[in-house]
Amino acid sequence: MTEKKEKPKSDAPTRRAGTEGPVAPERRADRPPRRRRARSRRLEGHATPSPTSDTFEPTVDERGGAPDSDADVAARIRQLEEKLDQMIESRARARGAAERRSPAPGSLVERRSTPPALPEPEGVLGTARELLSTGFYLRRWGRLGLRHRSEEVDEFGYDPVYEHRLLPFFDFLYRKYFRVETHGVERVPNEGRCLIVANHSGTIPVDGMMLRLGVRREHPRHREVRWLAEDAIFHFPFLGVVTNRIGAVRACQENAGRLLDREALVAVFPEGMKGIGKLFRDRYKLQRFGRGGFVKLCLRTRTPVVPVAIIGSEETNPLLARIDYLARAVGIPYLPVTPTFPLLGPVGLLPAPTKWKIYFGEPIRFDGYGAEAVDDEILVGRLAEQVRTEIQSMIERGLAARRSVWFG
Amino acid sequence: MKRAGPGPVDLATLGPAADGATQLARSPTRVVAVTGATSFLGRSLIGSLEEDPRVGRIVALDVVATSPAARKTRSYEVDLTQPTAESRVAEILGAERADTVAHLAFLASPTHATAWAHELESLGTMHVTVAARHAQVRKLILLSHTWLYGAHPSNPNFLTEEHPLRAPMTEPYFADKIEAEERARKLVERSPGTVVTILRAAPILGPNVRNAFTRYLAHRLVPTAMGFDPLVQFLHEIDAIAALHLAVLRDAKGTFNVVGDGVLPLSTVIKLAGRLAVPIPHPIAEAVGAAGWAAQLVDAPAAFHKYLRFLCVADGRKARAAMGFRPAYTSREAVLDFASAQRLRDVKLLSEATA
Repeated sequence: MTEKKEKPKSDAPTRRAGTEGPVAPERRADRPPRRRRARSRRLEGHATPSPTSDTFEPTVDERGGAPDSDADVAARIRQLEEKLDQMIESRARARGAAERRSPAPGSLVERRSTPPALPEPEGVLGTARELLSTGFYLRRWGRLGLRHRSEEVDEFGYDPVYEHRLLPFFDFLYRKYFRVETHGVERVPNEGRCLIVANHSGTIPVDGMMLRLGVRREHPRHREVRWLAEDAIFHFPFLGVVTNRIGAVRACQENAGRLLDREALVAVFPEGMKGIGKLFRDRYKLQRFGRGGFVKLCLRTRTPVVPVAIIGSEETNPLLARIDYLARAVGIPYLPVTPTFPLLGPVGLLPAPTKWKIYFGEPIRFDGYGAEAVDDEILVGRLAEQVRTEIQSMIERGLAARRSVWFG
Repeated sequence: MKRAGPGPVDLATLGPAADGATQLARSPTRVVAVTGATSFLGRSLIGSLEEDPRVGRIVALDVVATSPAARKTRSYEVDLTQPTAESRVAEILGAERADTVAHLAFLASPTHATAWAHELESLGTMHVTVAARHAQVRKLILLSHTWLYGAHPSNPNFLTEEHPLRAPMTEPYFADKIEAEERARKLVERSPGTVVTILRAAPILGPNVRNAFTRYLAHRLVPTAMGFDPLVQFLHEIDAIAALHLAVLRDAKGTFNVVGDGVLPLSTVIKLAGRLAVPIPHPIAEAVGAAGWAAQLVDAPAAFHKYLRFLCVADGRKARAAMGFRPAYTSREAVLDFASAQRLRDVKLLSEATA
């Protein structure tokens, strides 16, 4: 720290020694403090006498014009310094001699070689000693922090190593539990920005992750989907971090715009919390699509929309009722009541193993509209409604083709 | 040394300053006044400006005089918490013909002396802006903080300059800084010709700097919020100085986020710094933290806990485009650089940073 502080100042005087005349009055005003610093440098430098401190001193003296008293003081200090030098040197010499005299040179080498041999505990005793040391547990704890985690996440918090660790679980959900089928996944463009708009449901929504896995596994280019999640989950401990690390991003215009600017494939559930909180009797009835934010986003960034209908997800947690007033106190949007949930405790929140089918529609493009269309609320509303009816009709077709909730 | 003393500034007693001023009127170089000159950023900025031939003179303002060793620096003792600071700063700026004021007199970590902090940060900025307007200073640079955006779960991942400042106003550390920004913006309204540059810096890390976040990471056991691991970003101290220097040289009107590239999860930061994270459930942490702050046992009041739970990361693209600011260190490199110095400090091989 002190070194850093000195730095800008310390090279100033050396440079100034070579500068031309006009600064002379200023130089005189500065002289006394500069000399003091030179001396202090000299004092510090004595431990390892450096050539700079020696050459530096005469230049200060030669410049002359200093009052006599100052020179006197300088001379006296130099004398003291020399005396101190001699004392230090004689002391060092005496100590060196003493050390050479007392222990045999061999023992010195031995003493140096012993320490590395010490931390080599063997057998049960060694293990026990290690287990009893606090250092062992602190190390364990420290490792726990970064276990199965990459050191770098992308700028939205996605951690590939962390996702990879959870992947067997999600793969099990995808292949064995929900037996997800995709239809028309090749309609998702092979490259470039694209927005997937889908229906949303499930008290614990895993449709984002299933959509991500579906596109990754079945799409010819195995594109990565980043889905936008409601802010509410970021309030909660663990839940927010985990969803963020496996690829979810908080739903807002800025984040979506930034992702699309990087030509990403983004999935959005415009129903939002209303979709998750749909009652069982309202299943597969699309709720209002927010305020058409995703249409504005597409108009602004010139992004095509791929409508997606997810069939099967809306029966996983049949919601019979929502309890709002109790939940507000805890800080969650609502308390779900399903056939199993409050009865069986947290186990009741497990989703039912329904058969899932994901239908991808033809991309809808808004290229015909100019930039001013973003401010046209009526147009935005109409376009949002157009996408909504498209998804609703895809859902109807999917439901009509389905024979069983459990086997598809 | 005489001119560093308090009292009204008289051009006649300044001596060399009179010569310098006339000389400067002819030369196109700048005269930069720096408040908070003995703080780490102040010292470093002065050192950086000393090397710059485009800067003719530096006027250092602080409660104590800086060492007058630097070639171009004139030092004045000014206490911004005094009611008379306005006229004194105006006199100094006028006498030195300062065209740029870099206002860095802000606290880097929260203090219990909240009344004094309010006088220094909020009213001090008012004094400086009034003086700058009175002395017809061309440019005012204000150091601010990205934490003023506030940590909220509803924040976008990258906050732009247009985002409202939502830091907890109950915490004087943030409230005073937000007020200071408002006062600087008021200066733009009153004298539209003045260039006001507000630099919102991400938490500054580096081997030498000392602030709320370095204090947090200086502990062996670092408390975190259980179940939360927000993304954080940093600015290396060198980049902070470079950004201030750049703001002196370029006329960039408006507010700019000055941040390092990249983000890191807080847990990774703690690991890189060689610390152990102690996860504490946040309701408990808040209660204990508030009591600990009242008892002066912890470093920061409970309002800071939110920054351990939620996002507060700013977007630095505007500074890149408008000011040409390119950070030399990423957030990760800033953490590593801080950690390397902190490791030496831990084993007493390096003296404790002073600012």
